[in-house]
Amino acid sequence: MANVSLAADRYETYAYRIFDGIYRLGAFLLPIGVLVILWEASVRFGIADGTILPAPSTVVARGIGLAFGGEGGGVLFSHIATSLYRALAAFGLAILVAIPLGFALGLSQTLFLWVSPLISILLPLPAVAWTPVMLVAFGQGDATIITVCFLGAVFPVLYSTIQGVRSVSRESIWVVRSMGASRFDIFLRVLLPASLPTLMSGLKLGMAHSWRTLVAAEMLAALSLGLGYMIFAARSYMDVATMFVGIVCLAVIGMLIEHGIFGPIEKRTIRKWHGSSKMGGDA
Amino acid sequence: MTYPVAAKADDMRSRFNLPLSMSVIRPVVSIGAPLLLWEAAVRLGWIDAFLFPAPSAIAATMWRQTWPDGDLLLHAGRSLYRLLAGMALAIVIGTAVGIAIGMTRWGRAIFKPIISAFMPVPTLAWTPILLLAIGIDDRTTIVVVFIAASFEVIYNIVSGVEMMSRKVFWVARSMGASPSQIFWKVILPGVTPYLITGAKLGTGYAWRALIAAEMLAASSYGLGFMIYDASEYMTMEVIYGGIALIAVLGYFIENVLLGRIEAATVEKWGIQVER
Repeated sequence: MANVSLAADRYETYAYRIFDGIYRLGAFLLPIGVLVILWEASVRFGIADGTILPAPSTVVARGIGLAFGGEGGGVLFSHIATSLYRALAAFGLAILVAIPLGFALGLSQTLFLWVSPLISILLPLPAVAWTPVMLVAFGQGDATIITVCFLGAVFPVLYSTIQGVRSVSRESIWVVRSMGASRFDIFLRVLLPASLPTLMSGLKLGMAHSWRTLVAAEMLAALSLGLGYMIFAARSYMDVATMFVGIVCLAVIGMLIEHGIFGPIEKRTIRKWHGSSKMGGDA
Repeated sequence: MTYPVAAKADDMRSRFNLPLSMSVIRPVVSIGAPLLLWEAAVRLGWIDAFLFPAPSAIAATMWRQTWPDGDLLLHAGRSLYRLLAGMALAIVIGTAVGIAIGMTRWGRAIFKPIISAFMPVPTLAWTPILLLAIGIDDRTTIVVVFIAASFEVIYNIVSGVEMMSRKVFWVARSMGASPSQIFWKVILPGVTPYLITGAKLGTGYAWRALIAAEMLAASSYGLGFMIYDASEYMTMEVIYGGIALIAVLGYFIENVLLGRIEAATVEKWGIQVER
């Protein structure tokens, strides 16, 4: 008897959750759908100028054309691949530089006090501002774009690594050291797990910055491929539909990176290493 | 977790007991030492003086550009004007949308999905479209500033409204306040500290976006335009000087100007902004 009611209960909550999910998805998509329909209608009825604000149907058609079209088909995918390569290369470089530096600055109070004014003046500086320097030094191309994105990604990662390491209490390190742990053990078993939640959110932020900086850098410095280049080049042909395709791709890929890759990693590592949602909630 | 009393005592000690305290020495050394090293490296011929002109040369160029026949002040002034105009738009519209989301069901239902659809778009991706729709004009850069700042303003206003106690509304209503009175005398003062925090964070994003937008979309003035234009003539001194000015102005606006306002109001009203 108890089993049956439990099963029924479970079934009910399961069904409820499905319906609730559908309802929420519908409530979420409805305003966006209405906006898209209004947009389409205003172009069709001539309220909005189709050359400046192309109808959603035109944008979708252009997107399909760019992705699978006959001549130069698949060009959209090479734009996306080039952009992803640049953003990831910059992000990888930023990790290689920022995490060791962040641990050094987080562990040494003296070093931190002397260097932090320099960091706090560089932090609000837009990475894109370095583009002119790189343009003179490297010319147009991947080197300039990747360096600029690297500068965009490195500070959030550095900042959160420092924060994460500094948040580890001295006492926990003393305890482990008094029990005879080696430096390597302290690093691997105390510092790394304790600073991981902050570090992960720094990585997420760093990748997001890399992706957002990329667009501007590609508009200014790309020679041939990349989503930013695609959007900016379309300007010369007054091809607004292609611009919107680019914008949608940028937004969707940005969301996928944030929620599809970093979301699960963040959840899994924090749950595994801390076993409580409290640590990860706002870190 | 901060201990205000201890922090204050620490602050007092560092401020009053030592004539030249470490809190002054450290930033000077931290920023000055790399500049001195740079200067020395150029003078001794260790690094390329064209790509890395000496800080003294940069300072000299910036000085010449400022007065009497340079445009530096015009560039900086135009950038600040665009920032201010865009921020004013973002604060007015962002507050209205934020309160609509926080207070009403329809506001939440309509704006939340639309905002979460637009938020992942990198702000600067709108620039080419704005260029076509508006043209090379101050309005293009102002709209970019507005887009960059408004999400942060809206987010903070919404959390401000959600933090407000329902009892405040009950009290106001039971004493016969009209909806407009509730809006102007209850909601608006209640969300002001959150608005200040949102404006501070938003200004940080907006400043970054503005510089990039000026590189793409400004025709004559603005710090972003100045450094991009200088890269075509390869005048490295102007580029580095512009970058330094952008960094200093950005730091000053975000941390000193708005940081002071934030600290003063939060302390005065005793409100903790939780994020």
